[in-house]
Amino acid sequence: MGLATAALGTAPEESVAAEVGSALESVFDAVSATRAETTALLTRVAAEHRRPATVDLAALRPGLHLRLARNALVSGVGFVAAPGLLGDVPAWLEWWQSGAEGDVRPLLLDLDPDHSAYADYTHWDWFALPRDTGERAVAGPYVDYLCSDEYSLTLSAPVETEGRFAGVAAADVYLRHFEAAVLPLLRRLPGPAHLVNARGRVAASADPAHLAGSLTKGPDFAAVLESARPARHDGLRLVPCRGVPLVLVASPR
Amino acid sequence: MNQQQMNGGARRAVFSPVDNRARVDAVVRRIGDAIELGLLADGEQLPGESELAGQLGVSTVTLREALMALRQQGLLTTRRGRGGGSFVSLPEVPGEERLKVRLRGWSTEELRDLGDHWAALSGTAARLAAERTEPDDLLQLRRTAEELAWAEDAAARGRVYGRFHVELAAAAQSARLTREQVALQTEVGALLCLVLADDEYREEVADRHRSVISAVQDGAHETARGLAERCVRESTARLIALRLTL
Repeated sequence: MGLATAALGTAPEESVAAEVGSALESVFDAVSATRAETTALLTRVAAEHRRPATVDLAALRPGLHLRLARNALVSGVGFVAAPGLLGDVPAWLEWWQSGAEGDVRPLLLDLDPDHSAYADYTHWDWFALPRDTGERAVAGPYVDYLCSDEYSLTLSAPVETEGRFAGVAAADVYLRHFEAAVLPLLRRLPGPAHLVNARGRVAASADPAHLAGSLTKGPDFAAVLESARPARHDGLRLVPCRGVPLVLVASPR
Repeated sequence: MNQQQMNGGARRAVFSPVDNRARVDAVVRRIGDAIELGLLADGEQLPGESELAGQLGVSTVTLREALMALRQQGLLTTRRGRGGGSFVSLPEVPGEERLKVRLRGWSTEELRDLGDHWAALSGTAARLAAERTEPDDLLQLRRTAEELAWAEDAAARGRVYGRFHVELAAAAQSARLTREQVALQTEVGALLCLVLADDEYREEVADRHRSVISAVQDGAHETARGLAERCVRESTARLIALRLTL
């Protein structure tokens, strides 16, 4: 009996972790679609033996608007060009956001380094991680003071053209929306539970002792994600969420 | 004494006319700072009066008063007739002189109050960041502290100084503190150029920023708060001292 309970005891945590993974996987679907459309667009322009320009990127808009409308978790979506990609501007974000009244609006940033202290966006995790690893990435939670002024997760993937890095396709998930999506899952578990990123930063929590934005110190969450297998730490169960770099931290009741 | 009498003074204040002067001053500062920071270019035409008033959320009467003040400062010219309107015109006097004119628009009490607000934001941000930050989160703050140490012109120094405090609020993981800090920096950013033009003081600020980062990294909450507050107070004190010479 005791053994059977212990074996079954892991099941609900793993199913919650898998569901958190699928929720974000739907956001990655929006990123992948943007990436595919951007790659096709850049390939088309390259075939005309010219450099892409901002006006070319306008062709991405119908798809971006559709993704904002279809996925309630996605509040911002677009393509962020690597500096130097476009012929008419040094840097550019073809970025669209959902407004408070359900409207859709473009993000217009001042990217002139002579005016703006925020003109260089290449050091942000959502840009640097896909560029440096060639893999898709989840950045945050972090305060996005460049685009939305919201506490966010940004999911992104590299876009390549002719074998070279051209920028990133990305989508923003505001943390309050993420919490609304995953809290019912966390509350299904018998004990307090929360989700952390690879650095231990809490992304969502059903545990008043671990609030979103705080750090959970002790366990090596990066190692848990690397192994892709559940682990234990001081009586806590650590379960990696499938496909996304988040770890479910669950206490026994 | 009944409730009505007790609250009489407060109630009167609620229903007294909203201070139009303050709104005019706010518009003058906003547009003036944008011109100083180069966000509005020399010769650029401003939107029409009713459109601009709508965008800024003020009445056209308030807007007209503000535009007149900006004309008197030489930052705008007005052309009548077809194709007319208000145009940005950078006067021939150096930027520093224009900024001093802007600083004269602030009372020392307003500057002191601005400094109090700023110290509250940055002090709290530093304390929370010390709790919630791990080394990788400090990369941007370090980059900004170093950028301040080599920024050449005063305008760039003002921008980078402001960015440090915005990034500190972001390191605290607080969207509200960050938004407040961004709004505050749009007010104070242009003025800070005046005190940061001094190389020695610029070096001092860069050092103060480095020590805030160290305290945040060490998780020394109260030290981080104290250092951030001192950094802000010192800048405000310099602005006030400069204001008193004008």
